[in-house]
Amino acid sequence: MADFVAPPSRSRDLDKLLLRTGNLVGSNFEPGAELRDDLQEYARILVVGAGGLGCELLKDLALSGFKNIDVIDMDRIEVTNLNRQFLFRVEDVGKPKAEVAAKRVMERVSGVNIVPHFCRIEDKEIPFYNDFNIIVLGLDSIEARSYINSVACSFLEYDSDDKPREETIKPMVDGGTEGFKGHARVIMPGVTPCFECTIWLFPPQVKFPLCTLAETPRTAAHCIEYAHLIKWDEVHSGKAFDPDDPEHMKWVYDEAIKRAELFGIPGVTYSLTQGVVKNIIPAIASTNAIISAACALETLKIASGCSKTLANYLTYNGVAGLHIKVTEFVKDKDCLVCGPGVLIELDASVTLEKFINLLEDHPKLLLSKASVSHRGKNLYMQAPPVLEEMTRSNLSLPLYELMDKVAKDTIHVTGTTSKDGKKTSCLRKLRVVFKAIDGVTDMDTAGGA
Amino acid sequence: MIRLFKVKEKQKQNSLANGGGPPVKKQTAGELRLNKDFSELNLPQTCTIEFPNGKDDLMNFEVSVKPDEGYYKDGKFLFTFQVPPMYPHEPPKVKCKTTVFHPNIDLDGSVCLNVLREDWKPVLNINTIIYGLTHLFTEPNHEDPLNHEAAKLLRDNPDEFESNVRLSMEGGRVGNTWYTRCIENPYD
Amino acid sequence: MAEPKIKYDRQLRIWGEQGQAALEKASICLLNCGPTGSETLKNLVLGGIGSITVIDGSKVVLGDLGNNFMLDESCVGESKAKSVCAFLQELNDAVKAKFIEEYPETLIKTNPSFFSQFTLVVATQLVEDSMVKLDKICREANVILIFARSYGLTGLVRISVKEHTVIESKPDHFLDDLRLNNPWPELRKFAETIDINVQDPVAHKHTPYVVVLLKVAEEWAKSHQGSLPSTREEKREFKELLKSKTIAFDEDNYKEAVEASFKVFSSRGISQDLQQIIDDSQAEVSSSSSNYWVMVAALKDFIASEGCAEAPLDGSIPDMTSSTEHYVNLQKIYQAKAEADFLSIEQRVRNILKKLGREPDSISKATIKSFCRNARKLKVCRYRLIEDEFSNPSITELQKYLTDEDYSVAVGFYILLRAADRFAANYNCFPGEFEGPLDEDISRLKTTAVGVLSDLGCNGLTVTEDLINEMCRFGAAELHAVAAFIGGIASQEVIKLITKQFVPMSGTFIFNGIDHKSQLLSL
Repeated sequence: MADFVAPPSRSRDLDKLLLRTGNLVGSNFEPGAELRDDLQEYARILVVGAGGLGCELLKDLALSGFKNIDVIDMDRIEVTNLNRQFLFRVEDVGKPKAEVAAKRVMERVSGVNIVPHFCRIEDKEIPFYNDFNIIVLGLDSIEARSYINSVACSFLEYDSDDKPREETIKPMVDGGTEGFKGHARVIMPGVTPCFECTIWLFPPQVKFPLCTLAETPRTAAHCIEYAHLIKWDEVHSGKAFDPDDPEHMKWVYDEAIKRAELFGIPGVTYSLTQGVVKNIIPAIASTNAIISAACALETLKIASGCSKTLANYLTYNGVAGLHIKVTEFVKDKDCLVCGPGVLIELDASVTLEKFINLLEDHPKLLLSKASVSHRGKNLYMQAPPVLEEMTRSNLSLPLYELMDKVAKDTIHVTGTTSKDGKKTSCLRKLRVVFKAIDGVTDMDTAGGA
Repeated sequence: MIRLFKVKEKQKQNSLANGGGPPVKKQTAGELRLNKDFSELNLPQTCTIEFPNGKDDLMNFEVSVKPDEGYYKDGKFLFTFQVPPMYPHEPPKVKCKTTVFHPNIDLDGSVCLNVLREDWKPVLNINTIIYGLTHLFTEPNHEDPLNHEAAKLLRDNPDEFESNVRLSMEGGRVGNTWYTRCIENPYD
Repeated sequence: MAEPKIKYDRQLRIWGEQGQAALEKASICLLNCGPTGSETLKNLVLGGIGSITVIDGSKVVLGDLGNNFMLDESCVGESKAKSVCAFLQELNDAVKAKFIEEYPETLIKTNPSFFSQFTLVVATQLVEDSMVKLDKICREANVILIFARSYGLTGLVRISVKEHTVIESKPDHFLDDLRLNNPWPELRKFAETIDINVQDPVAHKHTPYVVVLLKVAEEWAKSHQGSLPSTREEKREFKELLKSKTIAFDEDNYKEAVEASFKVFSSRGISQDLQQIIDDSQAEVSSSSSNYWVMVAALKDFIASEGCAEAPLDGSIPDMTSSTEHYVNLQKIYQAKAEADFLSIEQRVRNILKKLGREPDSISKATIKSFCRNARKLKVCRYRLIEDEFSNPSITELQKYLTDEDYSVAVGFYILLRAADRFAANYNCFPGEFEGPLDEDISRLKTTAVGVLSDLGCNGLTVTEDLINEMCRFGAAELHAVAAFIGGIASQEVIKLITKQFVPMSGTFIFNGIDHKSQLLSL
């Protein structure tokens, strides 16, 4: 039986999955050597974050057949990273994470090209993100997730039947961990819920009432937050508190101790002070490894179709036993970020005022007293009076000009609709297409990001 | 799920032919929600709102409260609002820029208002906060003090509290603190 | 030298200095250092495990570079154990790392006593026959054993140890013990000193809900022949009574009281889980009993006598709306009771030790204190011998899994992993391991799987064709992402077992990399 020996190959194990046909696979699966080679040559992956998850992701992706990877992270390496961010050593402390991580993986996995970007995610132009086939997120902030999500969703185009156009879908794979718990999810904008559709999954941070801090502190955390939020401003008028300045932290700790002694409250420690003030999330290597591995595997499956994809949210909890659960969340069809919005065709000559009137009669909208905004610019605001006044002069201008003469684009409107005789206010996304502009006559391209 | 490579190559050629398009500013979900808040804003009579950065920056604005009754009648109190990108998941940061002798506002401008911290919920809006602020001036509350001295006086000696409030609003000194005048001179 | 402490800051926040000390004392043996084993150790080395011994008899070939980050070009032809060990050492020089170039199967066969020197053995990529043998060796030597295996898009993790006892299980959510349904005299007395009908609105809204509930419960009991609310209607009335005591609409302490009122109604006494532990035959202690069971015996005695059917109080109270003074006083009362309960348990522990002819002070005060604080959260985990599970699994569970849609893929893989080992024993290779058409292997694997099922007593039930095809397609490949996942799980369980904190998984974990509906099978 074992008389035939395959020639030695680096992708010995991966080949089994990529070269052989299977029954439980994605609809795009075309097994063969070409798939393996295409994956190496054409697939471009962006890893956002080079921390606990990011380090693992880079390793996992580099060993899952991807050769073109970029990584973006604005942070520098700290000593507290070393218990899990395995690409960093003590002598790397202070260096940019993205650069060191990229270098280390390239040193060990030959043929892999990793381009580091040592900057904030907002520093990159939007088209930068469109160059990648899949964006993988290893972040610890919902704000950054929300930003990347909005960027990825902005590439999404819908056809005239409100179906997402396949080639404009920018898949995201998102991981997150906290202690022994974590999640991994796949976001196919327009197909599965985007980050914004399920924002409620992230509970808001607990905030103590200021008067409790000022008058009736009961816990060590109350004493620390008093020093941090009230006493600091009182003593250092104007000077901003810097959580990364050890002297600032020490000051808060000393004040918290004083306050705790005054009230007879136990438990203030330097470690707790840092934890409360910086909102430190405990983190360990194993959980990051598990979640990153799940994310990397999904990335491979999305890109190659070599198996089914996760639908669509996995939670892991290892606190008591082992619990892995997959939940299929549904998307919010009216989501302002990933939803199709209402398609509206207009003549280039239509003024903003006429457009607003038009919305009142539009059968899908019936929106009266609309305020209109376009890519962060407020074209017209009905209220408050001061904004109305500032935007009133736009009313007589053609919408096409106000939208920088773009043939098709998204705008947002807010106003009131009547539903069952009751007036409710609502915020809607519209896809505006101007007729007979620059050859955009074909309904097929009437998308609008 | 997606036919990655072939499609991708084709698309690249297309987008090159189209010339890409201008770099665009992203409008966050928070900004959109704020637009909605403003379009349905129903300011109380005693409040005015300003946008110091112009019509396209709604994330930073100022609200002036000029109470028409109570201890703080005729004073004018300026609040700055900083709306975070994760609004309404997170509440706006509000500071009082006018120094005021008030049980629920300290001398650094921190405001003890439940909807700004522990009781904030994404269903609330800017209107809720502004109403909360006006309420603080009509009914200062000595039970949840931030300025201990003011709270104690309000509880134990409302008359003296009232005269201290007057004094502070006229730009006088209460305790160790000099206050800036916040009553507009009707003859100015 | 504060650096290690800073370096480990993010994990010390989870398992504390004690957990860290346990890790630093542990010695781990790894069998086979493919990606599954290497990744398991990587996570432990980063966290500062005491020592590792890597055992693998193979030399590095080019294919290994494609799935193992610990190996690079320079390692080809070298001992795999040596190369992996060198990289792991680079990650953390505080760890003592060594390797032995030897096949695990050989060691299992020729040198079983070798394994007794370790705290824990991580056995990766072993086939059934070796698993069974090693399991017996480790059980005998009382060494904790974890099996981990990656196989295409599936894999398994299984713990094997006779008994693992946990004091600090640290559950995410655990109901506090305020004894509002069963207050002790000092707590009652404290409540009596506070007038909840105080006129001053500030004092009224800063009366802690614990006091409010105690007082209102007493008032209720007086008008209901001494009993507490029990029917739904009574509970509703009790909440109404609470609400009637408010004097302003925004009294947070009363809102908290209404929300916490169930603590007044809840039944007294210990949980079923704890009852099971004190009823365990191990609680009948002998001179060879572990400290844990000696303390359980003391706990049992306490509950039966002095504790009035309650576990010792843990002494902590949640944050609640309150004046600082009331809160701090309340804290002191709970802590005093917890201390009294502790002293009583400690006395019992010392007496039991003396009776058993052991040194009465051989269990430290700190350990007994921790035991008391966590008495309501104690855990005992036991694991079957692999051989017993393999030859005599729970048929009812197996049949349930095979017919349950959520479990069918996972249990299918479980059967197929066993079938693949049987296949390998018969044909000297795994199904689909080598290139060429898969048809023959598919039909052979199918026959083998049917054989496995019928040996288990599940005649007539079968594994789907699709899954058998997949298994052959996998061809025993060890994919990096799957290995990293399995290795991650294995290392997480190692940490829980070594630190004796949190609760390790039970049963056999089967990874399902197709749609991630992985499952734990209790067979």
